[in-house]
Amino acid sequence: MNLVRAELERLGARRFVQLMLVLLVLAFGVTASTTLAGSHQPTAAELTDARTQAAESRRQMDEVYQRCVAQVNGNLPPGSEQEDFPADCSEFDPVLQDRLPVATDFLPGVFVFSQQAEPLLYFLIAFLALFGFLVGASYVGADLNSGGVVNLLLWRPRRMTVLGTKLGTLMGAVLGLSLLASLVYLATFWVIGQSAGLPGQLDGAFWAGLGAVHARGLVLVLLTSVLGFALATLGRHTSAALGTVAAYAVVWELGARLVMEIVDTAHPDRFMLSSHVGAWLSGRLEFWDASACASASGFCERVYALTWQPALAVLLGLTALLAVAAFSVFRRRDLI
Amino acid sequence: MSAVIEIEGLRKTFNSVRHGRQVAVDGFDLTVGPGEVHGFLGPNGSGKTTTLRALLGLVRADGGRMSVLGAPSPTRLAQVAGRVGAIVESPQFFGNFTGYRTLRLLALAGGVPVSRVDEALEQVGLHDRGDERVKGYSLGMKQRLAVASALLKNPELLILDEPANGLDPAGIREMRDLTRSLADAGVTVLISSHILAEIQLICDHVTIISRGRRVASGRVDEVLAGFDRHEFLVRVAEPERAAELLRAGGLPVDVYSDHLVVGQVDDPTRISRLLGEQGLWVRELTSLRPDLESVFLELTGDGAHPEVPRQVDGSGPHHRVMEMDAGVGEVRGDNA
Ligand SMILES: Nc1ncnc2c1ncn2[C@@H]1O[C@H](COP(=O)(O)OP(=O)(O)O)[C@@H](O)[C@H]1O
Ligand SMILES: [Mg+2]
Repeated sequence: MNLVRAELERLGARRFVQLMLVLLVLAFGVTASTTLAGSHQPTAAELTDARTQAAESRRQMDEVYQRCVAQVNGNLPPGSEQEDFPADCSEFDPVLQDRLPVATDFLPGVFVFSQQAEPLLYFLIAFLALFGFLVGASYVGADLNSGGVVNLLLWRPRRMTVLGTKLGTLMGAVLGLSLLASLVYLATFWVIGQSAGLPGQLDGAFWAGLGAVHARGLVLVLLTSVLGFALATLGRHTSAALGTVAAYAVVWELGARLVMEIVDTAHPDRFMLSSHVGAWLSGRLEFWDASACASASGFCERVYALTWQPALAVLLGLTALLAVAAFSVFRRRDLI
Repeated sequence: MSAVIEIEGLRKTFNSVRHGRQVAVDGFDLTVGPGEVHGFLGPNGSGKTTTLRALLGLVRADGGRMSVLGAPSPTRLAQVAGRVGAIVESPQFFGNFTGYRTLRLLALAGGVPVSRVDEALEQVGLHDRGDERVKGYSLGMKQRLAVASALLKNPELLILDEPANGLDPAGIREMRDLTRSLADAGVTVLISSHILAEIQLICDHVTIISRGRRVASGRVDEVLAGFDRHEFLVRVAEPERAAELLRAGGLPVDVYSDHLVVGQVDDPTRISRLLGEQGLWVRELTSLRPDLESVFLELTGDGAHPEVPRQVDGSGPHHRVMEMDAGVGEVRGDNA
């Protein structure tokens, strides 16, 4: 327990961690204050106006759909122009739309919490994932590199305990910070929505959706932290983790993707970690399928999807593999 | 009572990409008894630090058996780690922490009462600099901090690797006094050094290592006695004639420009008698007792510059070292 306390203090005292925290607070402050400055509570007139516009927009959609159906069925009213409609009108069917225009879509300069919460949360998750990776790597990397681990091992000659405590402390601290940051973050924007904008429709479905994104985001943040930690442990240095990620991005995500496209590999996106990250976060990610309809006759789906289950398996598997490798290498390594 | 440190047949070879195979320790033995202040003497690169690292579980030995305070190392090291204070090769500390905080974190991690921190800082004379950042410390201050970290545990066994490194003459004297007071209090001390005067002043026992092998060990006075060839320096008016007279008397003589060196002298009055009988009056008659330095240089080979790092290989003066070891034999302490 004391070891954890010491590690926590060591972690918190790192300049880099402090810098990242300052950046987090800064980014948060800038986003919140510009949002606050650019938002106002709509007047009754604005609201009425927006409602009218939304209703008008919905009516227009319906109208277009009706025209399409009429043209396809060949019972256009006489005198009306032929339009460029597809044979299938379902893409215009208001009933089949993801969402219909609502009044809040027509309120420029009004912050609507229910609409902005998810993108804001994604931004925070991206920041925290980066934070976790960099802090995870630099925390163990600097300690390995500066002899801090050796000093500690002279006191506690149990390598697995020492490294395990470090990883555990890192994960606990990152998780705690992420929870705190996201809570403060969402609460602040909720208050902005309440006082200087509109809360929007905050029903159970909304909170459930947001909660799911949040939970998936936290898992991602933990995974990137462990990844940074494991890579820096394997390479004995913070820069080993950064270098690996840079090399991966250039060689695989860019280079290999290009090659796969040139040689016409089917579904190259499924080999990319970035796709799996996206699929995990959003639950399901669709990709354009270049090869799908080349030989197909009749109906052919031109997209394919990655879903969160295999995406999580890939991300978890990779991270676990690297973590196990890091621990087993550290167990036997000569510490000079 | 059983030995505090026991090393038998320790071997360690480094395989590095840059330097190829480096045999650092090659069948080395070391025994340190309770209450000893044991000097671990050897030129740079002779394997002292590697031996200590292996003993403390920081590098994996390729062969041999080791134990510390009765616990086999490295397997059972954790059981006795709390009773062993050690510094290995100028330890590095995190520059942004103050000296006090550095020690406090180690105390926390090792389960030592934090009140010990002030005492340890006091012991090494860093008390009024404890609240400064380590990166502002001089080399000598860092060295003191390292010693303080080893003292935190109130160890029964203190292992210091080149503690005089970076210390000014006053610092070296303080360190010597500190070592002596610890020894008086019953602490067993193992001090590695390439500085002979240091060892001769503080230590009662010594083990000399050269090219990864033990070349001498035992009580300091006994090791010295083993190398005593009973030589005397003689200054006399007619050296050539004196040499002839002494040789006729059965004594081996080397003639130098202004003095003679006479060997195998059990009783120096014999010299003055032999010469005086022929009217040659001795101006100076000095016993040439070996000091640790001459023994050290003799044992560790070419010797003129013990500070110059040497490669460990089988060539050159190695043979001479082997001869010495075989010829003179080892002088072992009684309580070893
Ligand atoms: N990490 C390492 N990799 C390769 N060779 C090493 C390493 N550490 C020590 N050595 C070699 O082992 C030998 C003994 O080194 P060391 O134990 O540091 O000597 P000392 O402490 O007596 O000066 C030297 O020849 C050194 O070059
Ligand atoms: Mg050394």
